[in-house]
Amino acid sequence: MNERLLAIAKKLRKKPMSLLGLGLILFFGLAAALAPVLAPPPPNARDAYIIPQEGYSPDPVRPSAKHWFGTTEQQYDLYYGMIWGTRTAFKVALSVVLVSLLIGIVVGSLSGFYGGWVDEVLMRFTDVVLAFPDIVLAVVIVAVLGPGLFKVMISVTLVSWPQYARLLRGDVLAIKEREFVLAARALGASDTRILSLHILPNCIYPLLVLASLSMGRIVITAAALSFLGLGAPLGYADWGQLISLSRNWILGSSGNAFEYWHTVFIPGFTIFLFVLGWNLLGDALRDILDPRQK
Amino acid sequence: MLRFIGRRLALLPLVIVGVTALLFALLQFLSPEMRAALYVRDPRQLASLEAVIQKYHLRDPMPVQYWTWLKQLAHGDLGYSETAKMPVSDAIRAFFPATVELAVASFIPMMFFGIWLGTLSAVRKDKWADHISRFIAITGYSLPTFVLGLLLLMIFYGRLKMFPPGRYSLDVDLLVHSPAFHSYTGFLLLDSLMNLRLDVFWDVSKHLVLPALTLIYFEVALLLRITRSSMLEELGKDYVRTARAKGLRERLVVIKHARKNAMIPVVTLSSILFTTLLGGVVITETVFDYPGIGRWGVNAAQQLDIPGVLGSALLSAILFVFANMISDILYAFVDPRIRIQ
Amino acid sequence: MKLFRPVLCLSLAGLGARPAVAEVKNPDTYTYATISDADSVDPAWPYDVASHVLILNIYEPLFTYSGASIQKLLPLIAARVPSRANGLISADGRTYTIPIRKGVLFHDGTPMTPEDVRYSLMRFMLFDRDAGPSPLLLQPLLGYPTTRDDSGRLKPNAYKDAARAVEVRGNNVILRLPAPFSPLPTILAMWAPVVSKRWAIQNGDWDGTEATLPKFNNFKKESTPFFERANGTGPFMLERWDRKNKEAVLLRNDRYWRKPAALKRVIIRAVPEFGTRKLMLEAGDADNITADWDNLGQLQNLPGVEIIKDLSSIEENPVAFFTFHVNAAGNPYIGSGKLDGNGIPPDFFSDKDVRKGFAYAFDYQGYIQGTFRGHGTQGTGCIPKGLLGHNPGQKTYAYDLALAREHFKKAWGGRVWENGFEFSLLYNSGNTPRENFCQILKRQVESLNPKFKIDVRVVEWPTFLDGMDHSRLPIFILGWEADYPDPHDFAFPLMHSKGNYPVDQKYSNPEADRLVEAALAETNPEKRKALYYKLQALEFEDALHIVPIDRLMYRAQRTWVKGWTHNPIFPDSPWGAYYYPIHKSE
Repeated sequence: MNERLLAIAKKLRKKPMSLLGLGLILFFGLAAALAPVLAPPPPNARDAYIIPQEGYSPDPVRPSAKHWFGTTEQQYDLYYGMIWGTRTAFKVALSVVLVSLLIGIVVGSLSGFYGGWVDEVLMRFTDVVLAFPDIVLAVVIVAVLGPGLFKVMISVTLVSWPQYARLLRGDVLAIKEREFVLAARALGASDTRILSLHILPNCIYPLLVLASLSMGRIVITAAALSFLGLGAPLGYADWGQLISLSRNWILGSSGNAFEYWHTVFIPGFTIFLFVLGWNLLGDALRDILDPRQK
Repeated sequence: MLRFIGRRLALLPLVIVGVTALLFALLQFLSPEMRAALYVRDPRQLASLEAVIQKYHLRDPMPVQYWTWLKQLAHGDLGYSETAKMPVSDAIRAFFPATVELAVASFIPMMFFGIWLGTLSAVRKDKWADHISRFIAITGYSLPTFVLGLLLLMIFYGRLKMFPPGRYSLDVDLLVHSPAFHSYTGFLLLDSLMNLRLDVFWDVSKHLVLPALTLIYFEVALLLRITRSSMLEELGKDYVRTARAKGLRERLVVIKHARKNAMIPVVTLSSILFTTLLGGVVITETVFDYPGIGRWGVNAAQQLDIPGVLGSALLSAILFVFANMISDILYAFVDPRIRIQ
Repeated sequence: MKLFRPVLCLSLAGLGARPAVAEVKNPDTYTYATISDADSVDPAWPYDVASHVLILNIYEPLFTYSGASIQKLLPLIAARVPSRANGLISADGRTYTIPIRKGVLFHDGTPMTPEDVRYSLMRFMLFDRDAGPSPLLLQPLLGYPTTRDDSGRLKPNAYKDAARAVEVRGNNVILRLPAPFSPLPTILAMWAPVVSKRWAIQNGDWDGTEATLPKFNNFKKESTPFFERANGTGPFMLERWDRKNKEAVLLRNDRYWRKPAALKRVIIRAVPEFGTRKLMLEAGDADNITADWDNLGQLQNLPGVEIIKDLSSIEENPVAFFTFHVNAAGNPYIGSGKLDGNGIPPDFFSDKDVRKGFAYAFDYQGYIQGTFRGHGTQGTGCIPKGLLGHNPGQKTYAYDLALAREHFKKAWGGRVWENGFEFSLLYNSGNTPRENFCQILKRQVESLNPKFKIDVRVVEWPTFLDGMDHSRLPIFILGWEADYPDPHDFAFPLMHSKGNYPVDQKYSNPEADRLVEAALAETNPEKRKALYYKLQALEFEDALHIVPIDRLMYRAQRTWVKGWTHNPIFPDSPWGAYYYPIHKSE
């Protein structure tokens, strides 16, 4: 497995688009890691993710020396929000994708490996989950569990895993009849061993591609949910929340259409770069890993 | 073929029960007071909260409430939606046609552009055309829909005054509700033609432009990506190389052979996309003041209008099963191997 | 597209160069874009302003307010306004003789008679749906607020009491009260408008007899013909209530007993997204829209749009109520439930010093500046500005951190200061003033002592209501809008131990009760005022809630809208309106 990873890394280095993607992600990763240094939380702050407010004036303020990115309506410091929002973006995207992957792998591999009624039951259950209206689920979960970004992400996770499950199942079905698997079985290896050591390592790569592409999409979903009033509370450092706060200023202030455009442009452009980075990386990974492409 | 359809239809009751039972189980965790909040909106009414709970049987155990709902469903009675202020079945009949019109108006251009640009990207891989179309697609994909929607509204309604929000303009509103206009199907685009009113047709179409544009721009990226990767896969295959070696024209190779085979994952994605569109797109509907199913469903969920939530979840489940069915049928057309099975 | 966007927009800005203000768009149709849709157009049902606006344009009550005044009444369905001076109210205040106007027709052309008035009043009272407006008339006319007993059954004497309270004699309607109730005329200027008995019976509604009443008592909203259809006497008819598009369409009543309205149609449409409403106003597709102070920046300087500022409103909103005894069972909002720095004990707010500490810690002027852009004055008590009994000179809490600190140090024998506390402060979503209130309170109180911790949480209305109903919220933020412009409508629900809020707060002060009751029975305005002054002084001492602001509103409308006057008691004012005097011209 290690040699494969090394080979992938080498190939990635050769493609310019993937380098750009990787660069973007590293840039964001760095910003997230260095958040306490780049935007130190005010003393006495109990939660670093709450953006400091300067007064309560309802109109945003344009960027200045005091607030490098300006402030949003109700005077939240946009620079602080964007930096700590990087952490939130990674936390949210990674947790949703990792948990969905995990559930998807378990369901998909069991389904594909054992077949029969196990497959039938699991796939029907997957169908029910897919048929579920996702926004309605998010709203109901928030009603039950209470508001909060992570509660909402639970509901996003709950509807995201089926795509991984289905994908993996197909590949497991294809691989399990191959010779090396049959050989391992003949040697007396247990089911778990066969699954984890022989089958999964060969099927996992398409899922990684899908996962990397989803990372960006999660942030967009979070923004959409913030627009609907679900998601992070007001004043929480979350890009989706910040861009949702800007919704009134998209139309501009009267007299000057672009008066407070920094509230839209800054989070918007950042989300764009984040999504772009993961997309380029995902595309590059797929180009490399797909054995049928050159 | 019939067996396929039969199999898919058999799925319908399972999915319906599955989805609605899950919802009920979740709602189990909500106290009767929370569910009574649907009827008690003003602090001046607080004193009557308990009476409201009694009136609507909100203290009955959940399985009882679910069983009652199922029994009513069997009689075709979906209950009354507080948020729509009409029976659930009326609400579906009221909102669904508008959603269908928007879905179709978005889906067709979406498919066209997605497949065309995806093919273009695949054929001219790593050249400028590839980069540009992928870039355009990603910008749409990375912009939250409400930002895009409000921007479009500002430009095309605010400045250029070309495409207003809503489903129709004031004059058409009055006309459509007057005795002079007959509502045959509920689908305004069809009805306007059947009433021989081209002005109504034109007006409704004008109102579809911006919401459709928002949806198209947002989803075209996905279609483009899938088409592109699928096409790349096909174009790398032996039979394509053979065809090229034989001297067949490139266009023929690409369009007639490779693209047809590349359509399988596109069919999967497009059936998912169309179902999503049919399920309602709440943000687009909110921004453009479009009376669709999405807005109603989410409002019902936010206000815990349980018959409304169940009604829209039911619709969602049914659409899902039918979408699967149709995509299976399309698979059979696109992939001869499946037909043979 | 992001990189191209500024360029694109700049070039389009040139394209969209604005012309000089154009002629009036849709000159005979008025469009009002608001946030929420009506609940029902049945006069006996709704308690929300959206429905009420429609009802007061379609139906007419006995009286109405004169122009912008909330004190002076004019006769509408009645031919004269009864008073002690003209003898139409008896000396003991218990009998009202109301002559009914002649020559008024319903929308279907049938004449309105005193019998219709009687029917309408009885229907309003006896239909008595849960959480409805019926108690407003039941209490003064029958002396009790509900027609049902504790087990939910219709009281056997309810009908008889109502029938006795409202009688027709010749051309007059006689009202007999069990005790004097001075706000009654003003209640009858807002509620229980006149409906047609004949139309009701024709369409399957109540026939006015005792025998059929049980079928209609506590009725289901959609079960009556009045839910979505109307036959009133007002200047507009209900042409259509389109619940799919969330709009109500009113059509001019050409048979109106006064000169018919200038407008041919009025359309009230619910458009929840502010950006969309703003664009509609700009384009002239909406003649006025609902907008609050945080939106003001986007509505100023729009060509063709005028902003009318500093309009009074009769409400106390928001108000932060302290719960004296919180229900500790399964309560996630009080932390550990003990005064150990990680929670609060259930009776935390029963200590006056705690309450005063909070009251002094709140930055009133900062709140008014930040949330309302300075438009409003600090609240002086439960009676809002504009009503009799409002005391502008009443001593109030001022933002004084030193005093706040002093009170916190005294609270609970010093343990509050030593150990600190932690609790959750909830507000319901979609309400900027309440949100800001919570944020300010949190920040100021927390700044006093690092051991003071307040978690501000936004929840949806159902969660909020649930918490409130179970007395789980240590502090809850709500408001009170006037049912009718009389101080009793505020004094009772905010101060009386049986009032709406004290019941939830578990607050009870017999002196407050005495003052509220005495002020209600008192007929001399000067003496009433004195009693309310005393009540608000008591309110200040008890610090049972924080009333931060008497707010002012503004209205954004197209310059071609003429004839609008501001009457703060009219529902949904200053946005919704009585459309009769309004017309559009440049």
